[in-house]
Amino acid sequence: MMMKKNIHLEINGEIKDLTVDVNRTLLEVLREDLNLTGTKKGCNQGECGACTVLLDGKPVSSCSLLAVKADGKSIFTVEGLAPEGQLHPIQQTFNEKGAIQCGFCTPGMILVTKQLLDSNPSPDEQEIKEAISGNICRCTGYVQIIDAIKALSDVTKK
Amino acid sequence: MHLPEFNYYEPHSLDEAVECLNEGQRGAVVAGGTDLVVALKQRLQKPGFLLSLDKIPSLKGIKSSNEFLSLGAMTTLEEIIKSSLIKERFPALSKAAREVGSPLLRNIATIGGNICLNSRCRFYNQSAFWRSANDLCYKAGGITCHVTKRKNYCASTFCADIPPVLLAYGAVVKLVGPQGERTIMLKDFYTGEGRFPNEIMAGSREILTEVTIPFPPAELKSTYYKFRLRDSIDFPLIGVAVAFEADEKGRCKGIRLVFTGVGSGPFEFRHAGEMLSGSELKEELVAQVAERAAGEIHPLKTDLISPRYKREVAKVIIKEAIMEAGGGR
Ligand SMILES: Cc1cc2nc3c(=O)[nH]c(=O)nc-3n(C[C@H](O)[C@H](O)[C@H](O)COP(=O)(O)OP(=O)(O)OC[C@H]3O[C@@H](n4cnc5c(N)ncnc54)[C@H](O)[C@@H]3O)c2cc1C
Ligand code: SF4
Ligand code: FES
Ligand code: FES
Repeated sequence: MMMKKNIHLEINGEIKDLTVDVNRTLLEVLREDLNLTGTKKGCNQGECGACTVLLDGKPVSSCSLLAVKADGKSIFTVEGLAPEGQLHPIQQTFNEKGAIQCGFCTPGMILVTKQLLDSNPSPDEQEIKEAISGNICRCTGYVQIIDAIKALSDVTKK
Repeated sequence: MHLPEFNYYEPHSLDEAVECLNEGQRGAVVAGGTDLVVALKQRLQKPGFLLSLDKIPSLKGIKSSNEFLSLGAMTTLEEIIKSSLIKERFPALSKAAREVGSPLLRNIATIGGNICLNSRCRFYNQSAFWRSANDLCYKAGGITCHVTKRKNYCASTFCADIPPVLLAYGAVVKLVGPQGERTIMLKDFYTGEGRFPNEIMAGSREILTEVTIPFPPAELKSTYYKFRLRDSIDFPLIGVAVAFEADEKGRCKGIRLVFTGVGSGPFEFRHAGEMLSGSELKEELVAQVAERAAGEIHPLKTDLISPRYKREVAKVIIKEAIMEAGGGR
């Protein structure tokens, strides 16, 4: 019998008490138990960033994080960005700048962008590149993604 | 690929943790899990239980006294990068931490996990399915090594980024286990064997609790150079840490060069001191040191580049690293 554990966490602002198998990753629990399928499974081994979520505000790969390790923490996924049917300014701008092609990397890219802009509203190009350096995009060549983030920075908006 | 079955324990104290590790079946310590979770998915390890260090407060954080800096094993790489004290006094440590994996990993990866990292090989760090297409190599439970063709021998490569830097600074580590507590030089923690690269992997059933480094004199300059194919999310193919001390005239008083990615453990090149001592860092002389050091490393084809190419790269990065540390660049 697989050992289970009760965990208490906050997901997109909502408090949840869950019972999880100790050998499941946070990614599996989000997608399979909570139906939060915005978080993607790419490589499933820590290399691509498709599974990015914010853990206590910091981006992490949820495929490499045991769900039990999220006990007591707050999780933010792409679903938390904007109410159903609306777009967050980051999503809007990614759209406008052509920073989305197949879209598989997009939830991860958007979350690292959110964390970057929350902590540093006017990042320079180097800071932008560093922030997205754990997220692989096989479509855009990154140029449009960097452009979108630049367009969102305070410097550009002013 | 899902994770295999295991039990999961989260002790609240070190005593409990040690007791837990030494009960019956074989378990594995999990710190951040960035490496272990992948190894479990690939079925490289099949521990009966995981022992999480998350809930043990004494393993967290950075402490300093007049003489020493101590890092709890559960200190994350992100915390190291953020520390202005480390950036100022141990710049090579700050730099090496920044070079590990990607931000998504560094937010959970720990220094303890980096020190205890298993050695790697292109025949071993693969899915169970991939490995099953070959005979299992020695490290994976078979007999013959696919790299060296030798029996009962493993040449997998140590490629953690931070240990060479810690060694260059003269670090010691604290280990706690059934026989109590011991503090050893970090260099003695490594076995130099591919299959079980450190004391804990060789079966000591201990927990690494802390790494301590002496504050270097202000004149000591240090850096870390890493070579890899991609600029992010990539292990070092070769990395070199340099700690360099000059006298008041800028001549070499002492130097340490420590490598990762060149053998089954971190490797220190011990002749740099005698070659440079008392001299100014002239490019030509430094090139000779680089040439000789590159001649003393014996990488094998455990990753994607040839040993010969690796030696050529070594010459370049050794020279650049020494010149930078020495202020020549
Ligand atoms: C895509 C990817 C890229 C990576 N790139 C790099 C890189 O560039 N450079 C690099 O150095 N590493 C890299 N890594 C490896 C790894 O992420 C880091 O080395 C990290 O620092 C490991 O720390 P952790 O806390 O996640 O370790 P864990 O995965 O929790 O543990 C690693 C090993 O150490 C043991 N262990 C951990 N802590 C202790 C302790 N306190 N006492 C006893 N045993 C312990 C575990 O049992 C396990 O065997 C990469 C990993 C991935 C998935
Ligand atoms: S060096 Fe040889 S034994 Fe070791 S992991 Fe590689 S193939 Fe296996
Ligand atoms: S799916 Fe998690 S990093 Fe690729
Ligand atoms: S848009 Fe396809 S992977 Fe980035």
